[in-house]
Amino acid sequence: MARYAMVTDLTRCVGCQACTAACNAEWNVPAGQARTRVLPTGATGTFPNLRAAFYVAQCNHCDEPPCVRPCPSGATFQADNGIVKVDPTLCIGCGFCVDACPYEARYLNPETKRVDKCDFCSGRLEKGQQPACVTTCTAHAKYFGDLEDTAGPIFQLVYGKSAKRIESADVAVGPNVYYLGRRDEAALIAEVFPPRQPRMPAAAEFWSRLVKPLALTMVGATFLGQAIAFFHQLQTGEKHSDD
Amino acid sequence: MTTDAPLNFEAMSQRMIKKHHVAIILLHWFNAITWLMELTTGAALIVSPNYRFMPVWFVEMITEVFGSRGNLLRFHIAAGLLWVTVFAVYGIFGWRTYLHREVLEREVALDRDDLQWLRIRVLSILGRSNEPLPPQGVYNAGQKMFALMVYAMLPIIMVTGLIMAFHWGSAAVVGWAVVVHFATVAVVVSGLMVHVYMGAVFPEEKPAFFSMLTGMVPELFAYKHHHKWWLEVKAMESTPAQPAAPTESTLSRWLHMKEYWPAYWAGLGLGLTLLATFLIIGQGLGASGGFTRYLAFTLSLIAPQYAATHPYWGNYVQPGQPVLMDFLVFELIGVVIGGFVSGWLAGRFKISTDHGPRITPRTRWALAFAGGAISGVGARMARGCTSGLALSGGAVLSAGAFAFMLAVFAAGFLGAYFLRKVWL
Repeated sequence: MARYAMVTDLTRCVGCQACTAACNAEWNVPAGQARTRVLPTGATGTFPNLRAAFYVAQCNHCDEPPCVRPCPSGATFQADNGIVKVDPTLCIGCGFCVDACPYEARYLNPETKRVDKCDFCSGRLEKGQQPACVTTCTAHAKYFGDLEDTAGPIFQLVYGKSAKRIESADVAVGPNVYYLGRRDEAALIAEVFPPRQPRMPAAAEFWSRLVKPLALTMVGATFLGQAIAFFHQLQTGEKHSDD
Repeated sequence: MTTDAPLNFEAMSQRMIKKHHVAIILLHWFNAITWLMELTTGAALIVSPNYRFMPVWFVEMITEVFGSRGNLLRFHIAAGLLWVTVFAVYGIFGWRTYLHREVLEREVALDRDDLQWLRIRVLSILGRSNEPLPPQGVYNAGQKMFALMVYAMLPIIMVTGLIMAFHWGSAAVVGWAVVVHFATVAVVVSGLMVHVYMGAVFPEEKPAFFSMLTGMVPELFAYKHHHKWWLEVKAMESTPAQPAAPTESTLSRWLHMKEYWPAYWAGLGLGLTLLATFLIIGQGLGASGGFTRYLAFTLSLIAPQYAATHPYWGNYVQPGQPVLMDFLVFELIGVVIGGFVSGWLAGRFKISTDHGPRITPRTRWALAFAGGAISGVGARMARGCTSGLALSGGAVLSAGAFAFMLAVFAAGFLGAYFLRKVWL
């Protein structure tokens, strides 16, 4: 089974946002939302030592995705090939996963009322095509493929040219979108747009921490009481019966 | 006591009076079936370890039955919508009958007698009171409490369900709807367990259960358990132009039959059941095959490696195929439930050990266990037991079935000679 990953070469990226446009067109992303976007870090440092980069942000298809467990209906899941997907037939639009994502890669589609995000263009992959952002990229800055294919370009870029992940000391969930750059742009991005701690909405917290144990105790206690009464009845037979 | 004539308890236990309208009986059983399906599918929908409360095998089994999780959710929503629609129709067209203020005051609201009843009932269960229970209306205080709880929870369950199904409101609204849906269902389930126990298992309330099938209760039951309602009925009857109360129906007579069924009738029933399983499932009845699967399942839990590679158990324990996913496994559960139901209907519901006069119950248990083990091993060697081989095989005219049946009877006659002292 393949293990898909993406590499973005930030030395080549010119910030033209063709990837965002291609993605929006491919997946009918509503206005104001995006599955992938290009965020300029702005210039940092003091002249003449200035640094700047374009952060090409999207779902990282993490090794340990924090968005899967909070999903109450099982709509968000990790496929065998590592791609984290949302099954729109199961999604009820509670937004628990949106709060959980450290990379803000998910959005609630206001038209379908379901959560949507990058799925590495799974529909195109099935047809043997590359993701829309990769084929569109005007600077040829994006690469996509199987990380386990040792002869493939992704393996070479990630392990040969040591592409970097956007991680922090607090949040390290194994993102599978890697970044190349001659001046350590990945570190700059992690500084300006650090991945945030996964958030649990109050409703999800309330449910898993309080309502679930309380409900199980209540139903369990009732069951226990009745089991005792039932056993007592079996022992005494039906002599209390009126008929 | 308002009547002057002495009460004839014998006649009162025979005479049936009407309690439930057929519309209520239908609604009750529709509701029961819907709850069973919605609880099963709803429990299987919750897969995340954060919220899941049923074991993984249960979730996988139910998902398997529906084919996919998408189908499971669609079924849950469709059944829920049907349920909401039926209740809405009852509520709109039966407003005066079911939800009018007077009806609610009479059938649901707790009066002073009810509060006393609850206090004494709880104390008497704890063995702390011998006071007589205050008279009760058409529903007793326990039933009223359950009704109150259900009346409060049902609208919440319906609204939160609709919010999730149609994505009404913002993400926060949907998120809270999930939690509230789960919590209110849990509250109803604890009440429901008491309701099912009192209605279906508790001996004193048995007539109440039958009244949900036939609509009638014996007058004596009304007199003892719902005295205030009995007085109302008597007052109604004493006014003229009342039609004569119907006597016990055939259905009710059959349900209350005390003796075992005649063997030939039971045989006919078993034959029809066998025909039905061939038609519906495509295979016959069986017993030992089901037990084998239970054993293989237990073995695969304790020693999965051993079970999977074993030449015999390996046939049952195959990767990607649940061991318990077999008709016979579910059939055996049905056999147990059926046994309980028939014993309960006939008032035979009690732990007891049948044994001959010369032996103790302990000997009987030891012999039964030994005999069971021998026939179990024999059944697997013969590749079937009296059910799977003789009954189902005989039904399709298999030669092996007849050879087996002759051998079983021959061995039975021979063995009975040596074991005759056990029973005589």
